[in-house]
This record gives sequence, C-alpha cells and structure tokens, in this order.
Amino acid sequence: MSEQKIKVLLSILGLDVHNRGIITVSKQLRDAGMEVIYIGNAMPSAIINVALQESVDIIGVSSLGGAHLKLGEELIKGAKKEGLMENEGFIIGGIFSPQDAEKLKKVGFDDVFTSGATRDEITGSIIKIHNRKK
Amino acid sequence: MPEFRKNTKDLILENDSRQERVPLYNPEAVKRIEKEFKKWKDEKVSKKDNDNWCVTPHTVIGSEIERELLYTPLSNVDFDYMIDSGNSGQEPFTRGLHPNMYRGRQFTMRQLTGFGSPEDTNERIKFMLDNGVTGLNILFDLPTIQMYDSDDPVSRGQVGMSGVAVDSVYDMELLFKDIPIEDVSISLVTHYPSNTAILFPMFLAMAKKRGISWDKLKGSVQNDVTLEEVVRSGPEYIPPKDCFRIQCDNIEFIRKNVPLWNFITLNGYNLREFGASGITEIAVAITNGMETIENLISRGYEVDWVARRLAFFWSAASDFFDEVSRIRAARRLWYKIIKNKYNAKDLKSTWMRCHVQTSGISLTRQEPLNNIIRAAYHALSVVFGGAQSLHVDSYDEAYSVPTEESALLSLRTQQIIQNEIGVTEVVDPLGGSYYIETMTGDIEEKILNEIDELEKAGGYICSIEKGMIQKKIAEHFYKEQELIEKKDIKLVGQNIFTSESKAPSINVFKYPLDVEEKQKERIANLKSSRSKKEVEKALGDLEAACIQKTNIIPFSVKCAEVGCTIGEIFKVFKKSYGLWKPPVSY
Repeated sequence: MSEQKIKVLLSILGLDVHNRGIITVSKQLRDAGMEVIYIGNAMPSAIINVALQESVDIIGVSSLGGAHLKLGEELIKGAKKEGLMENEGFIIGGIFSPQDAEKLKKVGFDDVFTSGATRDEITGSIIKIHNRKK
Repeated sequence: MPEFRKNTKDLILENDSRQERVPLYNPEAVKRIEKEFKKWKDEKVSKKDNDNWCVTPHTVIGSEIERELLYTPLSNVDFDYMIDSGNSGQEPFTRGLHPNMYRGRQFTMRQLTGFGSPEDTNERIKFMLDNGVTGLNILFDLPTIQMYDSDDPVSRGQVGMSGVAVDSVYDMELLFKDIPIEDVSISLVTHYPSNTAILFPMFLAMAKKRGISWDKLKGSVQNDVTLEEVVRSGPEYIPPKDCFRIQCDNIEFIRKNVPLWNFITLNGYNLREFGASGITEIAVAITNGMETIENLISRGYEVDWVARRLAFFWSAASDFFDEVSRIRAARRLWYKIIKNKYNAKDLKSTWMRCHVQTSGISLTRQEPLNNIIRAAYHALSVVFGGAQSLHVDSYDEAYSVPTEESALLSLRTQQIIQNEIGVTEVVDPLGGSYYIETMTGDIEEKILNEIDELEKAGGYICSIEKGMIQKKIAEHFYKEQELIEKKDIKLVGQNIFTSESKAPSINVFKYPLDVEEKQKERIANLKSSRSKKEVEKALGDLEAACIQKTNIIPFSVKCAEVGCTIGEIFKVFKKSYGLWKPPVSY
C-alpha cells in the first residue's frame, strides 16, 4: 500500500517581496516526497480558502516584512473558525525576533523557523506535526 | 538609427586583441621566475599543496572562482600596466574614476532609513544627519513598494513595517520636513520603474511646492526592471516590455528635468542577494544598461547624454579579494563597452559610478554581533574596490529594521574606515597585486561570458519574459543552500562553532504603533479635501499616455500634484498594460 504524500500549501504572507526562502523550502519538501502547492503572495483568507479547497495537511507561510504577528494571528484565527486547526498543521518562517517567535507559537503555530533552518529541521518538523495531527 | 553589434563579447575581445601590449614583466625576468617557480614547487611545496594547487572558496553568493596557492607574475604574465590598469582617473579606469579618489572626495556614507509613518522616518533621518551621514537612503514599506495604498485590504498589518509608508505627495512633505533637500544627496529606494514613476513625481511635486528648482536636486532612484519583474514576489505585475519602457521614460524625463539626478542604479545588489553569483550580478546589470542605452538612442538621444548619469548598485559579500576585484573588473569592462561599442565622445560617459551595500544574506541570525565583524570586512573590500557610496548592513539584519543603536554602529563602521585606518589616503592600494590583477582579469572574462549568454538568448528583457533568468537564479540558490547545509559554505555560529550557550540577546526594533490608522486617516482626509475633477482628469490623461506609449512621467507628475495616491496611479498602469504572470512555477 502506498503512503499518502503529505500535502503542503506554501504561501507568502501579504505583500512581502522576498521569495528566495519559500522557493527553497518548496523544492526541499518536494525532494522529500511531499506534494507542494505554492500560491505566492496571499492574505490569510485566501490561504484558508485554498487550504480547504485542496484539503492540505500542512500550511506554511513566509514573512520577512514584519507582518508576521498581525497576519499570522489573523491566519490562525481564521483557520480555527473553519475547523482547520484540528487535523492540519501550521508553520511559519521568516525574519523576526526570538520574542516574536515565541509569541507565534503561543498564537497557535505548530512550529516557527528562522534563518539558518535546515532542510532536515523543516521536513522533520512537518512529518512530526503531520503524524501528531493525523 | 545606429545598429549596434549584438555580440558584445566578440567586439570587446577583438578590440582587446588589436591593442599593442607592452608586458610589464621583463621577459628575461619571467623566464628566470618560471624556472625557479618550477623548482620551488617541486622542492618546497608539499605534495598535498601541489595536488590542491587551486581551491575554490565557498561563500554565500560568491563567484566560485578557483584560487591558486600563490600568485606570481606568472599568473598574469601579459599584464600591461597602461592597457589593463592605467593610473587612477585614467582609461580604462581600473584603478578608480578620479586621480585622487578618496583624498578628493570620500565615499558617501549612505545608510538606509525607513519605517513607520513619514514623521517617524523624518526623526531617524535627522538623527542620522546629526551623527554624520553624508547621504540619505530612504526605504519604503511593502504596500508602498508594491504600489497599494495604506488603506487597501491587501496592506493590512503591513503599513510602516520594514519601510516608511508613503501614499501621496503630502506624505513626501512630512517625510522631508525641515530637511534641506537641495543640500543633501537623497537616494529614494524606488525599486521598480513603476513605483519610481509614481514616487519620484511625488518627491518632485513636493520640491516644487517648496519652491526648490528641480535642477538643484541631487540623488538617485533605483528604477530597475530587474527589481520589478525578476527578484520580486508580488500579487500583480505589468508586462516586462511595458515595465522596461517606463524605466526608459523615467530616464528620459529625469535626464531632461532633474539634471543632477541619477535616474537609474542598475541592479546589482538585489539580484545577487536573491541568489545569483557575483558574476551574474554584474552581467545582468551591464546587459540591462546596454539595452537601456540603446532604447534611449532609439528615442533620438546621444549615448553621452544617457551614459553620463547611469549608475550601478552592487552587493559586497564575504570573499574579500573577490569583492575588491569585482568592482575593478566591472569598472574596466563598462569603460570598454561604452567607448568601443557605443563610441562615446565624453570620457565621463564611460565611468561606472556605483553605490554598494554590504551583503545582508551573508549575515547570520545566530550570534548577531558577529555580523558587525562581517559587515566591517565587507565594507573594507568596497573601499579597496573604489566605490562612490556605501551602506553597511546592521548586525540585526536577520531580526528587523535597524535600531538607532545598530544603525549608528553601521555609520561608525564607515567613519572608522574613513578616519582611523589610513586606507583612504592611498588610491587603489591593492593595485599591482599579482592576485588582484589576475582576479580582475578572470572576473572580467567571466562577466563577458555571461553577457554573451544573455545576448544569445535574445537579450535581457527577452530572458525575463521567457522565465530563463528566474530559473537560472532559483537553481543557483538551491545549490547554495545545499552547500550551506553540507558546511561547504561555513558560517561561524550558524553551522560551525555553534554555541549551546545563549548569545547575549540584542535589542530588536519595535515598530511604532498606530501607523496604519494614521495613514488611513490621512488618505481619508486627502480624498475629501482634493479636487475630484482634477484627480479624474489627471488619471485620465495618464491612462491616455500609457496607451499611446508616450512618455508617461509628466502625466504622473500632474497626478502627484493634484493629490492622487500611489494605489490610484498603479491602477492606471494595470488597466492600461494588463497583468503579466511570470512564466515560472516554483
């Protein structure tokens, strides 16, 4: 019996122009055998819609522009409303202080990545989160 | 309309081969050195070192060029001082644009500032000027960069973060309140041709209102298609051909009306930081520069009229001597191209003037104070390369916009270089080094090869439309990530010498609150107080100019003057040109 591929939705949070990190992660996850849908820039409501439509397992967002708390919180709140937090994992990566990284975990992100995170760290975390949620 | 040879590499090599070279190194001396060198390699150099005579330093966004264990006259045996180097301020300008370089005029210390509402940044500008910065460098927030108003739903949560929010000419007034804009050089980091065509007119309208004549204004804009179409992620793009036309519209208008202004800073920095090698960075910027010149010539202008004010924007990363050599190589190559391909009459047209920013991506999040050291080395390499203007990244690069403290330290880094260590008293101090001159030559060759690649693919704009350049870069930075994870690229504190103990925590910048509310209120007030009729007419005239493909900038200036917002003007571009989807899937 073939293992179901972990389906990951990746997006840039809001208007951030930087996409080197998210493109790299997208490739790394595909190399690890996951199915990746990358939708580029999107606001939280759009991300949630795609997540519902595509029945994804993990939602990952990237934010280097400072909006991680405001929009990150909005994403998690919206996801909770749609019942997306039960079986789906949420991760965020980007540029922010250690204090904000802690805040994001409290807000509800399953894991938070900052610059220097390796492929193994990210894919390992996704697999752990996925196994826990399913 | 003059036809220019499409094959720059052949032209340059042909021209090079026609020069009568007088080798610096005496042939008799070379013969003797060769004999002794062989002996030395056999007798003194270990087998291990002989087997690994060349190694390739691996650094973030490095050039992956092989280095010899030792450089000697043999490495560069045909070196001709007058042809390859010349004196400073003399063709081919390898050693610098001016005879006296920093003795005559120090490099401009131009640190980036930008966050919050216009008055927040105004305060930081004053702080930097008080502490000795010699040029301003203004960074806009993401909604402004992407050309959405602060009250647009897509701007929510992002107003004033990582840059200053500017929605209209009135924000420009607040931003530059009490700043003597006719006395200080101002770089407005309007990355894209599109946002340059919106924000610079707002700046000009602000100057006009103050009664300052445009011919007094000194500074620069980015205005680069690379930034709008290649290295940017955004929800909406206009087509590359239209973007490039706006780039040239900006140039034409600014050259005519703001004669001291640098109307483009060819990129450069952002392309390389995105994930290209140091070679690709220069090749792309030069090719873009050539296509720009040819476009302006097709509009009826002389090469000298355009080239005199073309400027470049480089990144300075960690491979120290490579970074020095790059700036020299690029400067020499640009001279050769403007002189021999475009037959410029004025020598000043062949000058490659550049602003350099130390590499952000080369800094680490772990042990952020280490970045002070890194950035200082990056900065020093820029000074040895002979750049005109410098920004030093701050140690909290991986955390947020700089605090006052970290921004000040970056400025001090520059001031220490200028005043304490004696490196600016001697022009091109590394010139003549066997290593530097060999590297300069190697790098020039490699840049020419990549220019050739781009030209054979149909040119730079073409390679953007086809998604080729984007693909090349994505492959490059993916490989680079693997090199980092394999520890071929070593980063102290990040993947080697990682410390279990916690490094001292740094103060991280806290954004001012309520910027979004303030800006929303300002837009509301603006919309209720301006003349609706004038706004409609101005936007309508702009749309007509877009469709007719006449120079749109005068119409954009009018829009700025009557109080149009950035989002309103961008809507006109989108409507007129349609949207483009980059043909790349990630």
